[in-house]
Amino acid sequence: MDELMQILQELRPDVDFEKETALVTNGVLDSFDIVALVGELNDAFDIEIKPNNLVPENFNSAKAMWNLIEKLQDE
Amino acid sequence: METSILNRLNRTSVKYADKVMFKDEHSQITFGEFNALTKSVGTFLARKVPCGAPVAVMSGRHVLTPSCFLGAVRAGCFYAPIDGDMPRTRLNQILGVIKADYMLVDKAHLETAQALDFHGEIIVFEDIRDTEPDEALLEERSATLTLTSPLYVIFTSGSTGVPKGVITSHQSLMCYIDAVAKVLSIDDTDTLGNQSPLDYIAAVRDIYLPISFGANTYIVPKNEFAVPTALFDTLNREKITALCWSVAGVELPAKLGAFDVSKPEYLKKLCFSGSVMPCKYLKIWQEHLPDVLYVNQYGPTEATASCTYYVVKEKVNDDTVLPIGKPYDNYRVMLLNEDNTPTPQGETGEICVSGPILALGYYGNPEQTEKSFMQNPLNDNYRELIYKTGDLGHIGEDGTLYFHGRKDRQIKHLGHRIELGEIEETAKKVDGVLDCCALYHKDKATLYLFYTGEATSKDIVLYFRQNMPAFMVPRKLVNLEALPTLPNGKLDMQALKAQFK
Repeated sequence: MDELMQILQELRPDVDFEKETALVTNGVLDSFDIVALVGELNDAFDIEIKPNNLVPENFNSAKAMWNLIEKLQDE
Repeated sequence: METSILNRLNRTSVKYADKVMFKDEHSQITFGEFNALTKSVGTFLARKVPCGAPVAVMSGRHVLTPSCFLGAVRAGCFYAPIDGDMPRTRLNQILGVIKADYMLVDKAHLETAQALDFHGEIIVFEDIRDTEPDEALLEERSATLTLTSPLYVIFTSGSTGVPKGVITSHQSLMCYIDAVAKVLSIDDTDTLGNQSPLDYIAAVRDIYLPISFGANTYIVPKNEFAVPTALFDTLNREKITALCWSVAGVELPAKLGAFDVSKPEYLKKLCFSGSVMPCKYLKIWQEHLPDVLYVNQYGPTEATASCTYYVVKEKVNDDTVLPIGKPYDNYRVMLLNEDNTPTPQGETGEICVSGPILALGYYGNPEQTEKSFMQNPLNDNYRELIYKTGDLGHIGEDGTLYFHGRKDRQIKHLGHRIELGEIEETAKKVDGVLDCCALYHKDKATLYLFYTGEATSKDIVLYFRQNMPAFMVPRKLVNLEALPTLPNGKLDMQALKAQFK
């Protein structure tokens, strides 16, 4: 989780990832943030985020992203 | 002969009165309703605003926004669309250039507008949309328009740190729209899927192809570009046949694997522009949609969105280099050397454009206008302006034009045009930044800022987020003891590029 927070902070230091729960739904993260993020998460956690995983529910909060990472690591 | 874009709106609004013209995720509007709105807005504005004056428009991503634009035109004025999501400093800079006395906003942007350094009158669209049209007044105002009247002013990055407002005339816009419609064979059976923000130059196709030819446009919700499967579902649900997107927008679904799940079943034409298309992504589109017409388009805002086009007939590979093709109708393109002599075939020169599609210049900026729009140095006999694009190219053996990048420090990032000098001017305003250099890592599409001083990368990013559009925020910041220099004292950009990670 720390590593994830570090990636998020570096990507968007202006966003409070501890608090936000509607990052995609409210447009805090735009499509280009998501593309950059997917690439970094795939590399950092050795996972493969698939198009079906790219739904707002999986990226709306740091917690949701962490759950997705754990799920994909188990697969 | 037509005298303004209003001739077209008058025609299509009768012929297609009950047909849906614009649609978004919440609502839709027919040609007839759209036309009526432009007349209401136009009547209200005509009673206040003098002919030929600018009207700033700040309105969201929805079906009513284009009626604000055309409402200003019905009043005999021109519009300057501005994106209310941009930081306040940026909006104030733009308002400082356009110096409009009136700003038309939708209710959702009223608070944003009130917080700006704007001393004119703010008019709320929802308050005036039911104004009874005054046909005689509108007729009088419409008669003041000529083909060379300004239609809109769209802002783009300026190297001195102040955005430049490019002024486009009715004539230029109609020349371009007709030319692009011919290449893509757009007619009233087409449904366009709008990607570009409505205030941005790339949206002119999505707004004016309907007005000119009776096509209709679906405004794709911004969030869907982050959710590729939802994006394709939308394209299929709305039966979208034509897309005129930025290269960045075309890359997105291919990059995120959307074709593994579905594909746009109704798509017939895809036109892309804004930066060089990496063919590994175009290849994915071609593999899944082999019958679609793919068109690579090139050109600056100063030549009304585009200049040249190339219909991609071949199956591309990862390393295919697409030409930018040949000029559209009413566009003339030539290559010039540094000393203003013609560039021989096969050699690289600066791409210059002329024709009725040239912008009227930069708003309120005669110096910059003189510099960029100049007499054709090869013509001593009559007045003929050309625009020097700053882009380099060569004519290949096949007679088509190939693009070779910039001769200056302008870059294309995520479909937006950015002067690296403007990034540096902004960074220098941050407390604790002494010196800096902005560079672009093309392969990773990442904007770098190398800087010296005590500021943290967080300080700098926060400042940018508060003052600049999102696409101008550097993604990677590198703090250095000193910026490397060459023996002649100039900045050593190659040494900095070696530090790209």
